[in-house]
Amino acid sequence: MTIKSVLIIEDDDWLAEQYSRILSKQKYIIKISSNALDAIIAIDDFHPDAIIVDLLLTGSTALTLLHELQSYEDIGMIPVIMCTNLANEISIDNLKPYGVRRIIDKATMMPDDLLIALRSLEA
Amino acid sequence: MGATRGEHKKIIDGPISDGLPSIIAAAHELKSPLALIRQLSLSLESGDMKLSDQKRMLQQISLTTERALRLTNDLTRSIKLSDALFVLEPINPQQLCEDIKSELTPLFEAHGRGINLIPRIHPLLLIANRDLLRRIIINFGDNALHYAGGDSPVTIKIELINAGKVVRIGVRDYGPSLSINTIDSLKDKLVDVSNLINTRPQSSGLGLYISSQFADAMNGRIGIIRHRDGSTFYVDLQASRQLSLI
Repeated sequence: MTIKSVLIIEDDDWLAEQYSRILSKQKYIIKISSNALDAIIAIDDFHPDAIIVDLLLTGSTALTLLHELQSYEDIGMIPVIMCTNLANEISIDNLKPYGVRRIIDKATMMPDDLLIALRSLEA
Repeated sequence: MGATRGEHKKIIDGPISDGLPSIIAAAHELKSPLALIRQLSLSLESGDMKLSDQKRMLQQISLTTERALRLTNDLTRSIKLSDALFVLEPINPQQLCEDIKSELTPLFEAHGRGINLIPRIHPLLLIANRDLLRRIIINFGDNALHYAGGDSPVTIKIELINAGKVVRIGVRDYGPSLSINTIDSLKDKLVDVSNLINTRPQSSGLGLYISSQFADAMNGRIGIIRHRDGSTFYVDLQASRQLSLI
């Protein structure tokens, strides 16, 4: 699977801008949503190949959103990378049912970690 | 296998929504700005970007740092509140809010947002400590900016309520609405300041908890009004009779 388009769901607009800056340099097509409701519309319109999402969002949390996505066969298959400050308090095993393939700790991540995680989804 | 309905509650309800000790809440609240500053710094270190991007990132670093420092200063002030001597005096809230608006405008503009103050024709006076009241309003502004989303402006409004006995300063945002359950839970917690307030999911509510302590110290209270398209966080303080005596 080749990943060309990525939806970033992050309510810190400057952090979202930072992710976008890194990924755009590598020619990924980026769209940013700041909350779960916007993200649902963006997923329908944008058809991302992958999703990068923060766990805690304004309004509904990412898990509510991902739970909703899992209700649909097509969009439920979109691989998800979760970037969160709560990485130490969650486990990938708990999040796999939500389509989460990778967890990245915002506090320790390096700028290239997003690229590495996206490339790992293609393997 | 898909997620089971309701399972997500179990995964996230622990550390964030169960009333945190203040030190954990403070650590959590400071983690976001520090993580952002670190990311921006690492990218700047790597070079290879336009000068305009570099300038923007440096501005984001300084504004994010100021926001984090405001929180640490407020935290320190709130811990020392009981020992501190502070003066309650008649204050013109319009003038104070003008100053706050000027202070916060660069931060709001950097986020592509605006902050407005609804002008009053007739001046009001309230009884408060200038520094504590300033911290409360700035806190509301920070909260509205970072957790309301959208690009609509934040509006500060000053009004008289309770037959002129109380002055209310409200900070209105137009972000995504909080759920009714969240608002109900918030309202309970705003009344009981012994609990931390979970205002927005990303926030531990520490800033608003501190604000409630500051308001309490001035014989005031903070609260929230839910709108269809956002929220108003407000502080109520005793109106000064000084003008009516003149």
